[in-house]
Amino acid sequence: MIKITDLEKFYRTEEVETIALNKLSIEVKRGEFVAIMGPSGCGKSTLLNILGMLDDPDGGSYVFNGVEVAHFNERKRADLRKHNIGFVFQSFNLIDELTVFENVELPLIYTGVPSSERVKRVEEVLDKMQIMHSRNHYPQHLSGGQQQRVAIARAVVNKPKLILADEPTGNLDSSNGNDVMELLTDLNEHGTTIIMVTHSEHDARYSHRIIRLLDGQTVMENIMI
Amino acid sequence: MFRNYVKTAFRSLTKNKAFTAINILGLALGLATCLLIVLYVADELSYDRYNTKADRIYRVNEDLKLGNNNALYAVCMPPLAQTLKNDFPEVQDAVRLKQAGGFHVKKGNESILEYGTVFADPSLFNVFTLPMIYGNPATALKDPNSVVLTERTAKKYFNTTNVVGRILKVNDGQLLNITGVIKDIPKQSHFNFDFFVSMSSWADSKLNQWLRSDYNTYVLFKKGADHQAFEKKLPAFLNKYSSGEMQANLHLTMDAFEKSGSYFRLNLTPLLDIHLHSNRDGELSHNGTVQYVYIFSAIAIFILLIACVNFMNLSTARSSNRAREVGVRKVLGSSRKYLIAQFLTESVLVTLAAASVAFIAAIILLPVFNHLSGKELVINAQTLTWLIPVLLAIIIVVGCLAGSYPAFFLSAFQPIGVLNGKIASGFKGGRLRSLLVVFQFSISIFLIIGTIVIYNQLNYIQTKNLGYNRDQVLVIDKAFELGSHAKTFKQQVKQLPGVVNATLTGYLPTSQMRSTTIFFGDATADQKKSIFPQSWNVDEDYLSTLGMKITAGRNFSNQMPTDSTGLIINETAAKFLGFKDPLNKILYRNTDGNRDHGKRYHIIGVVKDFNFSSLRENISPVVLLLNEDTGYLSVKVSASNIPALIARIKRKWESFTPIHFEYSFMDQDFDAAYRSEQRTGTIFLIFTVLAIIIACLGLFGLAAYAAEQRTKEIGIRKVLGASVALIAGTLSKDFIKLVLISIAVSTPIAWYLMNKWLQDFAYRITIQWWVLVLAGFAALSIAIVTVSFQSIKAALANPVKSLRSE
Repeated sequence: MIKITDLEKFYRTEEVETIALNKLSIEVKRGEFVAIMGPSGCGKSTLLNILGMLDDPDGGSYVFNGVEVAHFNERKRADLRKHNIGFVFQSFNLIDELTVFENVELPLIYTGVPSSERVKRVEEVLDKMQIMHSRNHYPQHLSGGQQQRVAIARAVVNKPKLILADEPTGNLDSSNGNDVMELLTDLNEHGTTIIMVTHSEHDARYSHRIIRLLDGQTVMENIMI
Repeated sequence: MFRNYVKTAFRSLTKNKAFTAINILGLALGLATCLLIVLYVADELSYDRYNTKADRIYRVNEDLKLGNNNALYAVCMPPLAQTLKNDFPEVQDAVRLKQAGGFHVKKGNESILEYGTVFADPSLFNVFTLPMIYGNPATALKDPNSVVLTERTAKKYFNTTNVVGRILKVNDGQLLNITGVIKDIPKQSHFNFDFFVSMSSWADSKLNQWLRSDYNTYVLFKKGADHQAFEKKLPAFLNKYSSGEMQANLHLTMDAFEKSGSYFRLNLTPLLDIHLHSNRDGELSHNGTVQYVYIFSAIAIFILLIACVNFMNLSTARSSNRAREVGVRKVLGSSRKYLIAQFLTESVLVTLAAASVAFIAAIILLPVFNHLSGKELVINAQTLTWLIPVLLAIIIVVGCLAGSYPAFFLSAFQPIGVLNGKIASGFKGGRLRSLLVVFQFSISIFLIIGTIVIYNQLNYIQTKNLGYNRDQVLVIDKAFELGSHAKTFKQQVKQLPGVVNATLTGYLPTSQMRSTTIFFGDATADQKKSIFPQSWNVDEDYLSTLGMKITAGRNFSNQMPTDSTGLIINETAAKFLGFKDPLNKILYRNTDGNRDHGKRYHIIGVVKDFNFSSLRENISPVVLLLNEDTGYLSVKVSASNIPALIARIKRKWESFTPIHFEYSFMDQDFDAAYRSEQRTGTIFLIFTVLAIIIACLGLFGLAAYAAEQRTKEIGIRKVLGASVALIAGTLSKDFIKLVLISIAVSTPIAWYLMNKWLQDFAYRITIQWWVLVLAGFAALSIAIVTVSFQSIKAALANPVKSLRSE
């Protein structure tokens, strides 16, 4: 599903050039659950941003679903992204002015799903995440765990093929964290590919494979199963 | 999708109530001002548009240059209207109006003096749209002694409007037959009369004279007629009819007359241009000035721009709050287009809210504005038919303009940046914002300087030594009512204790009464040596009553029989005539049209120049003649108890006539003449204050923005030991710099433009350096007060909190 080859990314300030990704090559197959680990500054987030098409690489190739996307422009990437990729963030990133229902509905609006269909699908996913009762609440009235459930609901409502999770349990206590990991595992078991960046060895154990990065390069891969 | 925009916009606005309130308040203030000005300007532009044939109606004017004398008349010769109609097929109709002056109209035993009287040709109703309620417009003004009244006048005298066939008694027993009643003339008309008397009642109207001008003459062209081509034919036309009289009076052909540098020409003013563009002798009312229309329109746009700039700055100030939302939306697949639409929706919504507030405010403020501007503006169903579309257009334009910068600015955020919390330092964009602040403050400073200059100039006009003393001069109206007793009345008033002096004449520096006569420097009536001065009939007490000074020669005297052909001229006339020693010089006056019958006058004195027209104009030549005129009795009083003195004068008056005693004070009359300037000054002041308030609202928001952006910096500085004062200073410094730049930008522009405005006045102040300094200082202090509030607030905040916010 994803194949990156010799991917490069540099950050330049006036005097210093930092290499974030150094000819990195990774392949992720459909249905896999991959955890990416490594110390701060190893390039995890940069990799995730490029995989999520929020950022473009400075070199190398990125083939998504058989299509080379490294050279795609902003609009094409946005289009590909909204139909295929769901995001889960450490800090949830829900919109405070929108209710739970409206937050989850947002991706469907952007992909042009008609209104009646939207209601059906949002309710379906809220039910599955067991947050139907808070559908009219605003995010700031929910606990962290509940907020992350909403964020996951939002990530999956469009039935994406890939979910990118950036430390999804980082802001949660262990009990809520475990719940979230169970949810992701469940999604993965139903066919969604998941790539997760994490600091937590505990969380990483939910995945099939751990990719460890250091200074923009793969240093080790652990197969968990 | 649109519902989603509105929903988010609404919630985001209600969430930040303070910002929203500042935004709406600022915009509403701007819009309300703008609305009032729109109403004012629309009113000024609507003059005479009630005439359905307005685009085909033109007034014929006369331009005269005789030697060095120039005159522009709104009035023409008696036979002109009919002759134009006869000679030019493109002229469909023509009409003359001649102001009739004061009429005494009897209502029961009461005699009311009416000034809204005019003689008019029967064709009046063919040219102007004056709908007749009763009577036949085709014949109403045909016969002598016919009169057409307006509805309100009919009601005033007969308590009903159907008064056709009834008789109106005027003056000394003259009877006028009421032949029609028309609807009241709209306020927005360059003439506003209530009594239209048939022209045939006025004997002079039949005179076939081509060298006199006293009729306001209008032509109605046929559809499709070329008025420019018509205008080109006028010189030949005028030559044909007036050369005979020219020859007899001046012994000159028209050609020779023109060759000598003089001219005598006819031209046209479109009806719709009269109110704003015409200021000639003989206008039917005091017209407006297009300059004020421009000035006020510019102010409206400025104020609106300031309000828009506020909106932009305040919206971007909130951008760090909104950045995350933008990031999330982008990650979820929103394109930039959607985001722009969303932010524009938001700003149009705010503008809509502001416009609603502004609309209500405008309705509430309208009476106050009317009082200030001397207008009678109304918002009614008819106004709304155009006002609502205008308002909607303003909402959309302002909404999009004000929202454009935030929309494009916010929607350009890169999602990864904002989601990682880098936003606070992620954008600078400060240059445009600084530019906008400089723009706002430049306008404010400009308005401050403008206001001070206008006030100084008006003050100067009112306190200037005018060459006469208008203090404690009581002007008794309608002294002509006393007829031959006027002189006796004057003598008796002079006897009263507390009366210093009194003079009997209608020609006062503050009155409307004026007349001009041609004097020639030699008996051959050489028009190169002619002078075309104001020639006023006064008595021997004139100069002393009004405190005018003789600079050479002497005053008129009753003891000198030859003074009946004596003249006192002003200094300008002496200069004009080129006399080094004007005393005893001879001037000739043409009394009956034949140049060989010139009457000899000798100059007995020179009076120091005094001002008698607008101070916008230079003093023109004046010649005073010792002649009877009984327009007013002006009384110089010294009494401390003026009311008691007035009561005594009133009792004297009542012993002569039953006519109501009316008086005014000369200084009040003078003020009245400058009321329009004073009004402009007041309105300008109010707009300036508004502009500054709006600009400060913006600065206030911006200071909040700056503080917000620098929360972390402030926290670190505090942790490192900076004092509150030091931090507040650091934060305020940037804004002070901007205001200083604004001062540098706007001061020279204001100085230049206000000097240009002053050029319009013959007597004017020079702009003092302290005015510029004061304006800059005022703007700076206001800005410092506004900014320090936010700066101090930010500096007082707990540093732990601000550091955690990162």
